[in-house]
Amino acid sequence: MPVMLPTVLRNLLDGPATRLYPMQVREPFQNARGHVVFNDEKCTLCSVCALRCPADAIDIDKESRTLSFHPARCIVCEVCVLGCPSDAITLISKWRTPFSRKPVEVHEARGKKPRTPM
Amino acid sequence: MERLWPIDLTPRINYLRTIWSEMARTHSHLLWLGLLADAFGFESMFMQFWRIREKVLDLLEHTTGHRVIQSVNIVGGVRRDIDELQKRMIANVLAEVRKESQSLIKALIQDYTVKKRTVGVGVLTKEQAVSLGCVGPTLRASGVSEDVRLTKYHAYGELNFEPIVESSGDCYARAAVRARELFQSIDLQLEALSKLPEGEIAVKVKGNPPPNEAVMRTEAPRGELFYYAKGNGTRKLERMKIRTPTYANLPAVLVLLPGCQLADVPVNVLSIDPCISCTER
Repeated sequence: MPVMLPTVLRNLLDGPATRLYPMQVREPFQNARGHVVFNDEKCTLCSVCALRCPADAIDIDKESRTLSFHPARCIVCEVCVLGCPSDAITLISKWRTPFSRKPVEVHEARGKKPRTPM
Repeated sequence: MERLWPIDLTPRINYLRTIWSEMARTHSHLLWLGLLADAFGFESMFMQFWRIREKVLDLLEHTTGHRVIQSVNIVGGVRRDIDELQKRMIANVLAEVRKESQSLIKALIQDYTVKKRTVGVGVLTKEQAVSLGCVGPTLRASGVSEDVRLTKYHAYGELNFEPIVESSGDCYARAAVRARELFQSIDLQLEALSKLPEGEIAVKVKGNPPPNEAVMRTEAPRGELFYYAKGNGTRKLERMKIRTPTYANLPAVLVLLPGCQLADVPVNVLSIDPCISCTER
């Protein structure tokens, strides 16, 4: 009993150990793997991200020039970010907000492939 | 995987991997101590341990990017580095964690009611532990001095490490082994941080895995983790086999459960630190 007493007193007198989320939100850490954001202007539909994604979260449709991203399948492993040759994918440190239905993001790729000199 | 080629890694990579695996061991043992308290109804102690564990998880997020699934290893090295600011932060937070967990663990280990629930409960003798193939703290609590870190993989050869062994083989011994391993892992992390050498954090790897096979054993927080990989020269591996420590510790539950009281069932099952989702592998 006396061994536990300092801890008990400290718990009674200190404030709560938790944050009142969602009223108080902690700033995301700089290195945290939050979520993945696509940039329509730079994407050239080269499909490296879709081939490398371990969770099959990216679908490329070359006829309609769109890229469909399923955030519910994404495991934020950064492989697409590291593999994209046109730097069209970035990693943001803020975590995604919860959703009640699985969304699908459709991006229209507008980037142009750099022409190789003949 | 690097043993397939084989690739030589820089010392910095080995030290960084050691630091992160010891950090994972710290957070896993804090989780287990909280679950032990919860198993016989000591819920406030469970909440206290997990409050301390949040500090370690924040450290992991600062340095690797995520709390539990760190995914910081790649073939050929690691993805992130620890700079000077992070080193100081790690040292400060670990000192706080050690101080707070010392007072809590003293309260847990010396408490009369905790001893009544765990001493003599679920006794696993040395012969039973060895013949059933137990690994990790379950084995070391029965008097067998067996730890994969003694094979000196990563940077353990250069750190001051001795396995922690208890001889009574009951749930109290398993709790004592994990509590002492918690403090030992904090010490190992601080030692590795002070000795961290300079160097590259990733080595360039060319080509596909050659037709070769490789075996790697590491000491996960729950025991010995066994990896086998076989390449065949193409991009895809021919075979990959992972044997998790919980899979090796589960037969011990079959021996511990018969004859015990109904209220001792959660204490017995938890004392081997089961991770059922890993067993499915």
